Amino acid sequence: MADEKKIKKPRGKAQLIEGKCIACGARCETSCPKDAITMNDKGEPIIDVEKCIGCRKCIKVCPADAIEIVFTPEEQKILDELAAKEGKAAPEPEEELSEEEARILAKIKEYKGVWVYVEHTEGEPADVSWELLGVGAELAKERGVELCTVVLGQDVEHLCKKSFAYGARKVYSIDDPLLHYYRTEPYYKAICHLVEKYKPEIMLIGATGLGRDLAGAIATELKTGLTADCTGLAIDERGYLLQTRPAFGGNIMATILTERTRPQMASVRPHVMPMPEKDESRSGEIIRETVPVKEEDIATKVLEIIMDSRSDEYVDVAAADVIISGGRGMCNPENYSILQELADELGGVVGCSRAAVEAGWMPVERQVGQTGKTVRPKIYIACGISGAIQHLVGMQDSDVIIAINRDKSAPIFEVATFGIVGDLFQIVPALTSYIKELKAVKASKA
Amino acid sequence: MSSFVVPFAIVFVIAVLFFIYSCYRRFRLVALGKFDNRFKAFGKRLWNMIFYAFMQRRVVSRPFGVNHFVLFWCFLILLIANTEFFLNGLFPEYISFSLLADPAYFTLAFIFDIVSILALISVLIAFGRRFLFPPSYIEAKSPDALVILSLVGVLMIAFFGMHASDIALAGENAWYMPVSNALAHSVFAGGSSQGLTVSAGIFWWIHALVLLAFLNYLPYSKHMHILTAIPNCFFKSLTRVNTQPREEFDKGNVYGVERVDQFSWKALFDSYSCTECGRCSDVCPATNSEKHLNPRLVIHDIKINLLENGPKLAGKGGNGDTCLPLIGGEGEGSVDVQAIWDCTTCGACMEVCPVFIEHVPKIVEMRRNLVEMKAKFPEELLTFFENIEQRSNPWGIAPPERTKWASEIDVQPFEAGKTEYLFYVGCAGAFDARNRRVTLAVTKILDAAGVSWGILGKDELCCGDSLRRLGNEYVFDRMVQANKQMFEEKGVKKVITLCPHCYSTLKNDYRQYGVELEVVHHTEFINELIEQGKLPLGKVSLGNVIFHDSCYLGRYNQLYEQPRQALRTVAGDIKEMEHNHANSFCCGAGGGRMWLEESIGKRIFVMRTAEALKEEASAICVCCPYCMTMFEDGLKDRNADESVQVLDLAEIVAMALDKQD
Repeated sequence: MADEKKIKKPRGKAQLIEGKCIACGARCETSCPKDAITMNDKGEPIIDVEKCIGCRKCIKVCPADAIEIVFTPEEQKILDELAAKEGKAAPEPEEELSEEEARILAKIKEYKGVWVYVEHTEGEPADVSWELLGVGAELAKERGVELCTVVLGQDVEHLCKKSFAYGARKVYSIDDPLLHYYRTEPYYKAICHLVEKYKPEIMLIGATGLGRDLAGAIATELKTGLTADCTGLAIDERGYLLQTRPAFGGNIMATILTERTRPQMASVRPHVMPMPEKDESRSGEIIRETVPVKEEDIATKVLEIIMDSRSDEYVDVAAADVIISGGRGMCNPENYSILQELADELGGVVGCSRAAVEAGWMPVERQVGQTGKTVRPKIYIACGISGAIQHLVGMQDSDVIIAINRDKSAPIFEVATFGIVGDLFQIVPALTSYIKELKAVKASKA
Repeated sequence: MSSFVVPFAIVFVIAVLFFIYSCYRRFRLVALGKFDNRFKAFGKRLWNMIFYAFMQRRVVSRPFGVNHFVLFWCFLILLIANTEFFLNGLFPEYISFSLLADPAYFTLAFIFDIVSILALISVLIAFGRRFLFPPSYIEAKSPDALVILSLVGVLMIAFFGMHASDIALAGENAWYMPVSNALAHSVFAGGSSQGLTVSAGIFWWIHALVLLAFLNYLPYSKHMHILTAIPNCFFKSLTRVNTQPREEFDKGNVYGVERVDQFSWKALFDSYSCTECGRCSDVCPATNSEKHLNPRLVIHDIKINLLENGPKLAGKGGNGDTCLPLIGGEGEGSVDVQAIWDCTTCGACMEVCPVFIEHVPKIVEMRRNLVEMKAKFPEELLTFFENIEQRSNPWGIAPPERTKWASEIDVQPFEAGKTEYLFYVGCAGAFDARNRRVTLAVTKILDAAGVSWGILGKDELCCGDSLRRLGNEYVFDRMVQANKQMFEEKGVKKVITLCPHCYSTLKNDYRQYGVELEVVHHTEFINELIEQGKLPLGKVSLGNVIFHDSCYLGRYNQLYEQPRQALRTVAGDIKEMEHNHANSFCCGAGGGRMWLEESIGKRIFVMRTAEALKEEASAICVCCPYCMTMFEDGLKDRNADESVQVLDLAEIVAMALDKQD
């Protein structure tokens, strides 16, 4: 028997099944422990059979089942003999984990818990942090782990309380004058310190100006993966975080995995995730830590805070959920007041097309389009905009587009969810008054 | 006169040596430029020199150029007289035209006398123009110009003073020198022989000294063109300047031009050849719309920069440090960054330049440096570059939507052997709603004529025109390679393009990459179909039809008459705008300006639209999707979009197809 056992069961070699590869983005290449796979110009794998050990990792990772295992006739012969000896079909060979793989897996298992970074400016929290607690709670439940927040700053006790109210069970807090103002260096070092000590598996950060800066610095320092601007987060069967985000201008959704490192980091834009219920009665544990850096070691000093000098009239169209845009069809700048009224009722802002800027009716920062702002609001109402291509590319990804135009052949109707052919000077005021009515009815019912 | 010989010889030798030294100092700087082979085809070049320099073909295309023509030829003829004058001054006994046989001497003397008076009149006319009717586009009273005109004037007066004194002194009737003779018998009549001898001597010295002063003034003034303009015509590009040289990507190369010695030697020679006539400024759409760009000043700045930095760059051990930056410095000798971006590459400047200075390639090369080395370009271009790089169209629209225009018609994919022509739709023709209608019109015409054609569909890529004009050779190079591979794989040989920009790029720019295609623009092709009688056409009545030349068809590729002829066939008489044919005025979208905001000065598309409206147009016929967009916007801006329509030639011809009996 001992002799027979010595016959090593052939594992075969991986081979591409012609025509099945979908050029998913080199997943097989990444999965190969022996670097036996390289990608050709078309994004298809070239498998080096000399290097291949038949571990089947690439087969498992392939989304298109485009790789198979083949045996040489000799190998097949051995297999058949083995099968005959055992009197049954040869069982699938057990996947042998390489030493490195095993080490990585073991390390990954050390990381537990879902963390959300609580962003704030001078103690005023950013709503996106609470939104993340909503999705974070689902992830934590799925994984059976704790949902925690990270609160950094000076006099931020109230943010710990709020964290509990929005669903966190535990808060890691560093309260120190050194963290009074946001500076990249002390903040990322503080968080890395916490991560190394408490080892969370998932870390979520709001994709704001501050969040983008911080998340990148942390991920770089910890040498882990970060997926920016996720629109969907979920847990797969292995317990890994599935980070979904639009790619190639929103035409496809890419789902990204952080397989070998921890924490799994993702940033999410404001207003993408729903706000969870707030419950002031909840409480939890606060773990207090001290800052791992000294003031004298930090190169950046905050000398003065200069508030945004933009005039009160400055409006960031790109951040708005509802945009009412006017084009050349508005005829003159005064007419924009009817758009403003509608915007006020809907809690939105007024944008415009290039024509309106060129005519001098609206300031350039309100311009939507190729050379202006690219916007993705929930509702975009285009009034008197014919829809030149340069405008369309700046707003066509909006969730709902409502176009109002006299010319029924205007290209804007090609991208519109709802189109209204008619005189905007009648339609817009009618819409405004109807919304007012609806609001009044709702108020009286309440 | 023999007593003058020694002092004159000394002055002469010093002056000539100084002149040679000046020329050496100037011209050695030209050698700093990069190599550019401008020597091939000697015969053709010689002809260009004769035709454009000696016959002044372009100079006389404007009325006042005739004056220059006269002055130029007077100068050439007097060159003989003045050579004799110097030699005679040095060797009075041995060299003099008066030693020739009488008939020969009389003839020469007659010619020189007449030519001198013509030159004097010419100078007076030039003075008159500069003071009484100064053109808006040049600094009419520039000291430089006035100094030279005065020198020439004084020279002529001295010539007459000298000869009239001599004639009066001899008391003869020198009928063979009518002007000098008349002066001798009027102004100089009755002078004592001693007085006349003195006056002859004084005029002789004035003539000698002014002539030497003139010679030495040349290299230090804009009149250096007297020395450079003729060779510049010799070295002129043998083809139309409708492309820019290919960027060589190699380790250690500097891309584009940021220092003056990175230009080619010909570009530097160009800067010496500029006469500051201002014709380029006069026709430039950017200058006319009050932008920062003035093509004349770009050339002038290059020259000043070369003179300032050149000696340091040429000096031994020169480490290439230059004080005056070529781009973005203060004042003279530095090209304004905004000016570099203002150019629409319409080529109007190169079309009028009498000495064939190539403005556009210089501007594009400076853009390249800003884009490729410094990543400094107008903000709007960031999205544009990204979109082209990632999705091969300017708007970043998903490639499968390239075939959307054809959703309601049957279109064949291009297959070598099955389809003859590739119809290269281009980005605007495929994605832009208005221009998609033009695309459909073209297909309708092609089908009506039974042409075998196919498209690349969603595989079609952008040609990269705007990238090249905007100086992004990195991405342009990749686009060409990708397109080249696709054309080769699919066996594309003949291409019909919708857009003049694709047309010129595929035809002229791709050649640098070894892509030899038979490219035709749809207007050219339609005209051919009409000529061959393949289209059953009726007449359309559109009222007052105006034709607008696309720069990339007209000036770039000489297609002026083909579209007009087709238009006349179906729409009858057409009207021209003030600027038409080679003198056409750009719509403002070329050279990548389509993707940039126009926030300085007047708006070019509005100016051009106004020009069309001045002719009371009821329809404007265009041949280019950019022009289409610009005119549509211009008409809306002028509130004329309901009374005037913009139509592509293809649309008008397609209408005529419907009207057939």
